[in-house]
Amino acid sequence: MASTLIDETRVALGGIGDLFTGLVSPTVRLGVTGLSRSGKTVFITALIHNLLHGGRLPLFNAQAEGRIVRAYLEPQTHDDVPRFAYEDHVAALTGADRAWPEGTRRISELRLTVDYAARGLLARNTHGGQLRIDIVDYPGEWLLDLPLMSMSYEEWAQATLQQSRTGPRLPLAGEFHAYLAALEPEARANESSAQEAARLFTAYLARCRRDDVSLSSLPPGRFLMPGDLAGSPLLTFAPLEVAPGVAARRGSLHAMMQRRYDSYVAHVVRPFFYDHFARLDRQIVLADLLTALNAGPAAVSDLSAALSAVLACFRQGANSWSSVFTGRRIDRILFAATKADLLHHGSHDRLEAILRLVLDRALQRVAFSGARLDVAAIAAIRATREATVRQGGDVLPCIVGTPEAGEVIGKERFDGETEAAIFPGDLPADPAQALDGSMAGTIRFVRFRPPKLSTLPLRTSPAFPHIRLDRALEFLLGDRFR
Amino acid sequence: MTSTRRPTAFRLPETEEIELEPDLPEPPLVPVQPQPLGLKRSFRWGSLLVSAATSLIMLWAGFAVTGFIEDLFARSVVLGGVALSLAGLIALTLVAILLREVIGLIRLNALGTIQDDAAKAIAAGDAAAAQQALRHLRRLYGRRPELAAALVDLDRHEHDIMDPADRMRIAERDIVSRLDETAGRVITRASRRVTLTTAVMPAAALDILFVAAINLRMLRDLATLYGGRPGFIGTLRLARMVLSHLAVTGGLALTDNIVQHVLGRGLIGRLSARFGEGAVNGIMTARIGLAALDICRPLPFITRPKPGLAEFLQQVGDFSPERERPA
Repeated sequence: MASTLIDETRVALGGIGDLFTGLVSPTVRLGVTGLSRSGKTVFITALIHNLLHGGRLPLFNAQAEGRIVRAYLEPQTHDDVPRFAYEDHVAALTGADRAWPEGTRRISELRLTVDYAARGLLARNTHGGQLRIDIVDYPGEWLLDLPLMSMSYEEWAQATLQQSRTGPRLPLAGEFHAYLAALEPEARANESSAQEAARLFTAYLARCRRDDVSLSSLPPGRFLMPGDLAGSPLLTFAPLEVAPGVAARRGSLHAMMQRRYDSYVAHVVRPFFYDHFARLDRQIVLADLLTALNAGPAAVSDLSAALSAVLACFRQGANSWSSVFTGRRIDRILFAATKADLLHHGSHDRLEAILRLVLDRALQRVAFSGARLDVAAIAAIRATREATVRQGGDVLPCIVGTPEAGEVIGKERFDGETEAAIFPGDLPADPAQALDGSMAGTIRFVRFRPPKLSTLPLRTSPAFPHIRLDRALEFLLGDRFR
Repeated sequence: MTSTRRPTAFRLPETEEIELEPDLPEPPLVPVQPQPLGLKRSFRWGSLLVSAATSLIMLWAGFAVTGFIEDLFARSVVLGGVALSLAGLIALTLVAILLREVIGLIRLNALGTIQDDAAKAIAAGDAAAAQQALRHLRRLYGRRPELAAALVDLDRHEHDIMDPADRMRIAERDIVSRLDETAGRVITRASRRVTLTTAVMPAAALDILFVAAINLRMLRDLATLYGGRPGFIGTLRLARMVLSHLAVTGGLALTDNIVQHVLGRGLIGRLSARFGEGAVNGIMTARIGLAALDICRPLPFITRPKPGLAEFLQQVGDFSPERERPA
């Protein structure tokens, strides 16, 4: 607990520092939160691109009113954190073989500075209309570690094992369970059996992530995405069959696992959280509901559990003058169902309704905390167009785009080159059906390649089409451009 | 026979004989439209009297004019011709005025329709209503040079995927709110004039007339600004709407009590009783103007704060030379 106290004090001290720097050069820390493959990198890239190049953002007031004078990327501020590879991502998206950026493997950050024509008297006379936006990109897997901060090894082991024995996870964990059955937790510590257990546990986690299962709640995150910790002893632990409250025998396997878990939390999870997430001002939660819906109700409820647990780690709430001393809170949070371009806009309301239901607990917590919240179906980069197809007297709302190679719908398998109009099925009017399994087989969302963009010879950067990115921006940052 | 009605539980999907009441989803909240009272009226002898008398007078006037023209023709063809063409001109102008009044009323109604559609789009997320409102706006403002660029911008967003409420927000921010500044100046000018007129007018009866005229002109200017362009009847109708709006929002009562106490018998009132009276009238005019703004503005205030009386109060007593009349 002492370490928590120290960390919290650091947060509060940092908050006081922020107050003074904020007067001269206001900074907003935008937390882009989302599990892996939820579209964080694409969202950040699109956001930066649209601000840098004055993209079409009719609902983002400062831009639409022409008050943004200039936006530019600052030189890297922290020498120990890599810079967000914005240029590489744009190049990948717009290159000859348009491809989405690869999954993020390490943490990176970027500071975007926007000069704007300030309206307020105070703003004009202090900083003259300048806002710095700090954004961090990181592998979504790591986010799953945040709930571990408040769990002991025994609690975590019990929860993880219990989870692995239910639903679709049971067949995937067979190998690990078999090895675990032969292991005696209170026997003498043995490095090779610890490594074998960790290896089998990691393999089980990796299997849970496959597209047809698409489970989300798979901590510890570094097991799936080790980053610079690959091969480190910090990652050689696994849940053992131990009851909470039972003290580990000295020198036992249990004791060793417990020690490694504790140092994992202390040396990996805590610094990750306190360095990058503890002082956020605004937060957007990206949830890839469509992939979960593809995989079925188990994946949807798993996503719900994972995101709710992660969100409980953040400090949301309205700020007052006293938050300077207690640490700032996140006072605006947007829950976004990403990849909204994979279905027709007529279904966006239903997608939002499902997201509201799935994240109900988190939403209520945020609403109770006093922070402002909004729910929206967005697509940071829109890969499809819309169309209607008449089929036997029925009009099907479709989307048109180039499905990625290997995507399957019905009997059709796509090669990644041909365009197709896709009717992904109807989302249910009653969002509860997304969780009770009654819509099995009625929907199928296909992944598309990035859109073909018309590039004029004089315009070096094409504008990315989007869905409601401007509304998201206005909600998250609009009030800071006064 | 008490045994037949024991407490029982029926399992829902399995009970066949059950007939469930349809579970209707709760309708979204849309502002209530005022309903007509629906009282049955007795036969209106008074209106019969008026219309009969009017018809008789019209008949008499027609006969008189035709007789007069015939007389003139009998005297000289030239005189008759002149009189005939004058009569024709009178008929033509009458028709034109009538037409203008009718069109004015239609346009005034169009403003109301846009308001209803916008309310539906914002409260219920009705996409069709949003499109309808935008189409009307485009028709209303299509010929205004100062809004041309904004309208072109609006057209560019037409095929974007957006929530209906957000469409209304853009239309309000880019189009309607550009007219607000002029509206504010119209209201300020009218209330200043009323203050001054009341303060210097020698006879009380006269200043009632002048104040009424200035107020009507303000209403007409505001409606014209937002695209209503009412004629005389339209302006009267607008005045009626404004008065009922004021009555509903309790604006009248507030002005009468508080402001009169503060201003009329307060500081300004002590300087000069007439001037205090003028200030009260001026504030009243500003209040009427604000009510008219609510009625004439096709979209509600979403992105902009609604102007309040306070913004006009300080200018009521400001008699520095008026700026250029807004275009």
